[in-house]
Amino acid sequence: MLRNQPPTESVISPAPEIRTEEMLLNVGPQHPSTHGVFRLVVKIEGETIKEAVPVMGYLHRGTEKIAENLTYTQIIPYMDRLDYLAAMTNNYVLCHAVETMMGLAIPERADYLRIIAMELNRIASHLVWWGTYLLDIGAMSPFLYAFRDRESILDLLNELCGARMTFNYMRIGGVKWDAPPGWIEKVANFVQYMKKELPNYHKLVSGNEIFIHRLAGIGQYDADTALHYSLSGVMLRCTGIKWDLRRDESYSLYDRFEFEIPTAVEGDCLARYWLRLAEIEQSLRILEQAVQQFPADGEIMGKVPRVIRPPAGETYVRIESPRGEIGVYIASQGKDKPWRLKLRRPSFMNLQILPHLLVGANMANMVAILGSIDIVLGEVDA
Amino acid sequence: MLGFTKGLGFTLKKLPEKKVTHKYPDEPFPMPSRFRGIQHFSPEKCIVCNQCVRICPTDCIQLTGKPHPDPERKGKIIDTYDINFEICILCDLCTEVCPTEAIVMTNNFELAVYSRDELYKDLTWLDGNRTNIREEN
Amino acid sequence: MEEHVQLTPLERYVTRIGEKFGESAIENAYINELAKHVPTLVIQKEQWKEVARFLKEDESLHFEYLSNLHGIDYEDRMEMYYHFYSYKHRQNLAVKIVLPRENPSVCSVAEIWGGADWSERETYDLLGIHFAGHPNLTRIMLPDDWVGYPLRKDYVEYDEEV
Repeated sequence: MLRNQPPTESVISPAPEIRTEEMLLNVGPQHPSTHGVFRLVVKIEGETIKEAVPVMGYLHRGTEKIAENLTYTQIIPYMDRLDYLAAMTNNYVLCHAVETMMGLAIPERADYLRIIAMELNRIASHLVWWGTYLLDIGAMSPFLYAFRDRESILDLLNELCGARMTFNYMRIGGVKWDAPPGWIEKVANFVQYMKKELPNYHKLVSGNEIFIHRLAGIGQYDADTALHYSLSGVMLRCTGIKWDLRRDESYSLYDRFEFEIPTAVEGDCLARYWLRLAEIEQSLRILEQAVQQFPADGEIMGKVPRVIRPPAGETYVRIESPRGEIGVYIASQGKDKPWRLKLRRPSFMNLQILPHLLVGANMANMVAILGSIDIVLGEVDA
Repeated sequence: MLGFTKGLGFTLKKLPEKKVTHKYPDEPFPMPSRFRGIQHFSPEKCIVCNQCVRICPTDCIQLTGKPHPDPERKGKIIDTYDINFEICILCDLCTEVCPTEAIVMTNNFELAVYSRDELYKDLTWLDGNRTNIREEN
Repeated sequence: MEEHVQLTPLERYVTRIGEKFGESAIENAYINELAKHVPTLVIQKEQWKEVARFLKEDESLHFEYLSNLHGIDYEDRMEMYYHFYSYKHRQNLAVKIVLPRENPSVCSVAEIWGGADWSERETYDLLGIHFAGHPNLTRIMLPDDWVGYPLRKDYVEYDEEV
């Protein structure tokens, strides 16, 4: 009956006394788009987010406390479990901190193996991000392509160190395993394969008009905001700041390689998407050079005392992980166990901007913004 | 509209390609030789030096020794050896420190059981787990 | 500026802060050789807030990026450790503040560097250091009804049953 009548005035514009109601919506902690056990309490009015309160700690294992009762070698497996998508960089940052304190020299071959492993891992991590992010915003098939290629990387790393994700590969002063016979060639082949495959990724997604409209201008912020919130990695570079610790505070042998630091100026989700793919490209470049320069033979462990006791004092080192700046602070009292270990986790720091970005955003964009930060909950909660 | 059709075209082109998935668990999934799976323990090699217990980051190994039955010989032999696979993270450190390679990794990785108690593996079980033993340790 | 050319970064920071806040603001200044030779300043607790603002806003210092902050329990005292970076001058700086072991409290820098917000909450949560002026100083990792501060060296797990 009603639908045949012409709409009356009151139906078109709600009467002044009808108010929309604020609603509290709980997202997570068990929610696929939060990429782990992360909870977000959002206050929405209609479709607009008024306030967002992140709640975390569901995966807090107290790594920093556990580490105080472990020797430095024993901490390495725990580092694997922080950022489990890029465990190699976590391995490295701890070893690097201890090596910096003790002034250890690392054999060249071990350094190359570390770089190859780290860059492979960086690509794997970005591929997971690429796949799951597109899954978040509604594209199914890219996920399958991303995981197919990530699988080749995991197979390579599995062959190198015997585990697919929790590598426990690096040791203080070197690495645990030398490259198996033929492994370096396999890496070289993979690099060539991936170079051919990457344009397909762009073909599949990057040019898609729906995708571009979905992300352009979403979750935007400028360089000052980024610095204010201590953002790092892609979250910082998407605002135009050309900063990559691999080049600007070079560690290991990164100064031997030629690579670009991709930056964008838009500071939105689309810019971050492009940067992560561009970083894969640069990692492939580094890998290509590393494979070429790889020394024919040499030691994989430096001269390390049997019991590792860094001198009393403190150190703080930071390196570039796929998610940003990962740092380790060690306060040592000259014992074989750290007095205090502090982990600067990039996911944790990057996530801080989320409440700021969500205020005023559309509810449907929440997942797109959260996904573009690229968090790993193992790292946020430590 | 061009970008959209391009992507669709790519998907269609991939249709006739060979599958990349494995038929696990119907077909076993082979792991590379260095793979860190469930440990194998050889009691006859063990010298009860306790190094694996000390290095274990999760404290999942428990062992006891007993004096050597032959009174002529010094040292101890292993009496009990338990690994709690509820907390073992297969980090490889125990096999790394073992001076006699009494504890080594295998490539077996299937540990799913119905009861938590079954995850306590004792000496006999670990000794019996002797397939796909890793060569390099 | 010419007469400052010879100064090392550390000397420059010390002079700059000394000129503004007096010698007493800096308790100690040294190069930490274990941490890639980072200039380290130990700042007096009472003046930290003003010094912090100065570190960020002064043109010749301009430490606009807070990389990390955390506390350390040394049993006889607490310490705060901050690591700053200046993208403008490409300089690192570490700042330390010594706090008493009993009721440690330091002023919050969350309004100067937004990135300090959660780190301060984490330090409060795990070490029990109070940050005066923090907008929302609640536990972040542990549940709100948790008893004690786990990262303290004398922490004993609270058990309701006992």
